[in-house]
Amino acid sequence: MLGFGTVPGPHQATAPLAQQAINLATDCRLSTVDCRLSTVDCRLPSADCRVPVPYLLLMIGCFLLGCRRSAGDAPVVLTLPSSAVGLEAELLAAQLERFEATHPGIRVVRQVTPDAADQRHQMYVQWLNANAGDPDILQLDVVWTPEFAAAGWLLPLDRFRPERGAFFPVTIEANTWNGELFALPWFVDVGMLYWRTDLLARPPDTFAELDSMARFGMREGGLPYGLVWQGARYEGLVTVFLEYLGAFGGRILESDGSVAIDSEAGLRALVAMVEASSPSGIVPRAALAWQEEPVRFAFQTGQAVFMRNWPYASPLLQESGSAVAGRFAVASMPRGNGGSSTATLGGSQLAINARTEHPAEAYALIEYLTQPEQMLERARVAGQYPARLALYRGALNRALAIPSDAALQVIERATTRPVTPVYTELSGILQVHLHRALSGQQAPRAAVAGAATEIRALLRRTGVGSVGADVRR
Amino acid sequence: MFDVRQSPRVRTESRLAWRLLAPALAVILLVTLFPLAWTAWESLHVHDLRMPWRGRPFVGLANYAELLGEVRLWAALGHTTAFTAISVSLEITFGLILALILDRVARARALVRTVVLIPWALPTVVSALLWRFMFEDRIGVVNAVLAALHLPGSATVWLADPIAAWVPIIGADVWKTTPFVALVLLAGLQTIDDAIYEAARVDGATGWERFRYLTLPLLKPVILVALIFRTLDAFRIFDLVYALTGGGPGTATEPVVLYTFDALFQHLRFGYGAASAVLVFGLTLGLAWIYIRMLGIRHRDAAE
Repeated sequence: MLGFGTVPGPHQATAPLAQQAINLATDCRLSTVDCRLSTVDCRLPSADCRVPVPYLLLMIGCFLLGCRRSAGDAPVVLTLPSSAVGLEAELLAAQLERFEATHPGIRVVRQVTPDAADQRHQMYVQWLNANAGDPDILQLDVVWTPEFAAAGWLLPLDRFRPERGAFFPVTIEANTWNGELFALPWFVDVGMLYWRTDLLARPPDTFAELDSMARFGMREGGLPYGLVWQGARYEGLVTVFLEYLGAFGGRILESDGSVAIDSEAGLRALVAMVEASSPSGIVPRAALAWQEEPVRFAFQTGQAVFMRNWPYASPLLQESGSAVAGRFAVASMPRGNGGSSTATLGGSQLAINARTEHPAEAYALIEYLTQPEQMLERARVAGQYPARLALYRGALNRALAIPSDAALQVIERATTRPVTPVYTELSGILQVHLHRALSGQQAPRAAVAGAATEIRALLRRTGVGSVGADVRR
Repeated sequence: MFDVRQSPRVRTESRLAWRLLAPALAVILLVTLFPLAWTAWESLHVHDLRMPWRGRPFVGLANYAELLGEVRLWAALGHTTAFTAISVSLEITFGLILALILDRVARARALVRTVVLIPWALPTVVSALLWRFMFEDRIGVVNAVLAALHLPGSATVWLADPIAAWVPIIGADVWKTTPFVALVLLAGLQTIDDAIYEAARVDGATGWERFRYLTLPLLKPVILVALIFRTLDAFRIFDLVYALTGGGPGTATEPVVLYTFDALFQHLRFGYGAASAVLVFGLTLGLAWIYIRMLGIRHRDAAE
């Protein structure tokens, strides 16, 4: 399948009318946004936005008279926030150039934004609060979609009939709020276990096995560290915890929105992390101050038997100068008692600003960027995993630094973080209590109990649950 | 003595003075008082940027009630106070010693003074990262030195320990700001007339007596000025901790401004964050007021 603009046939012939209908529908939606925000009861609209009768007549009239946008119109300008540096920026520039070539009426302007997730988030929230119509397209971290959707800042995408079924179901779940889809996955990130093939014959199945294999590897290879993971007090710590939690059969929030972190499973998961990072454990104490890069550094210099990290590390580990080039493989994180092997879902999504003046064009760009060719190119150039299941057969094997069936195996275990508009605060609470337990300031039981109490208070104070039970009404 | 208020000449002059001051006052009003008043007003509302559907309702003092009921805030205030007390006393002590040494330097004065100022000139984030690297557990120079000298603690993971994590923070702050204190005190030292010391020497005062009964009392106003600067700065500590420990482990090194930052820019709770900011402002204003009163008393003493 080729890009949006090059598809021949009936699709293209009906495009102008469809586009106008979408524009009108969107206008109608936009005019209702204000009323929605000012009154609490109707703040989230139902999926269908009815087009008022006069507009409908106008539309039919337009159709009959054959009026359409005249060719002399100035091109529509779309703004897209993006990183300013690195391979990714170059890749995006090339893809946008191709998009503009196949869509003559549209020009895309890149808006430089910080790479640090926190700063980008803060910037978006300030723009969107000011009701800015640009950037038209937003590049979202997976945990932001519910927050932005609940705030009414994103345009629901179902009207454009996206190919929901082509993407990994878990990525669709993460981008759905109140039953509506608000963003399309651009690439997926999953937490995975890197292991040393020169020291071990196979990856561990359970956490108990991981512990003994790590000790064996440390002894055999003379390595200082058994396992390294992201233990600093930041979002990465929560993603690691989620994998332990899933392994022991626990959850942060139940599907009805109630807090479940203080369950026996939650306690067991935290105890496992505390024991692993205790002075007699396999994880170095220093990891309590490590984010992704120090963790990768420890593994890449050959100091650790296992590493928990994201896919971005694998092309870097293969570079010349890496002590582990050709001597590592990836697997999913092990399971514990009562649960199953789990991978935290991360990655980037593309969504449309609800205030954009060009929703149809914005969607055309999103559709283009999420096409198989673009995803494959992204995998090849930046090592980022495609969000489409079908791509994991064939061509992808040559694009990724690791075999695509191994990647697929991890992605199949992917779990979303709690889908709630107050995720950042919820995560902040978890980070503090997890880190207190790991650094020995709080017993694990007190830590999960404290986190649960604070998260319950947060949900009460803000009146939002995990599935938006309160918001939906 | 004649009454100044009755003199017409003085009255016109004072009117002129006001007129000349007006632009500056207007600017101060605009860039200082207006944002301050706005923050205070904001602190009386629930204003959560991520939840526009909640609007911006007026809630009176509810944000303050929540703030003062928050254990983490009281812990942060405790950290800030302890940090301020410890680091400022170290800085004044070392600054004074350094100033006394610099005062004696006879050769290459300008060069020596410039070199001493380097830590102060470095951006805080740079010095924070520098200290962070020094205190890394396996590759850091501190543990290497401790191990080489067979001292205990060479296996300390500084940043993962709630008490040990304070060492690099206070160390970095003292290292960075001692030169500033030294320079301020040096300026004070040089205003002291050498003739006084000469007289003391003639009277048979020892070096310690000259320092204790001449230098210290004469330097007091300058020490007080250095104290004001350092105390207010230390109380508002943010960037150093942000880059060094991020307030961790857990929240064991979190100062009150970092807590405020978290509420404002991580969680985007503008009303609650504003309340926290107003609290910090009130506390620093109180500190400044105490110091300025102390200075005022001294000046009156001196005038009498």
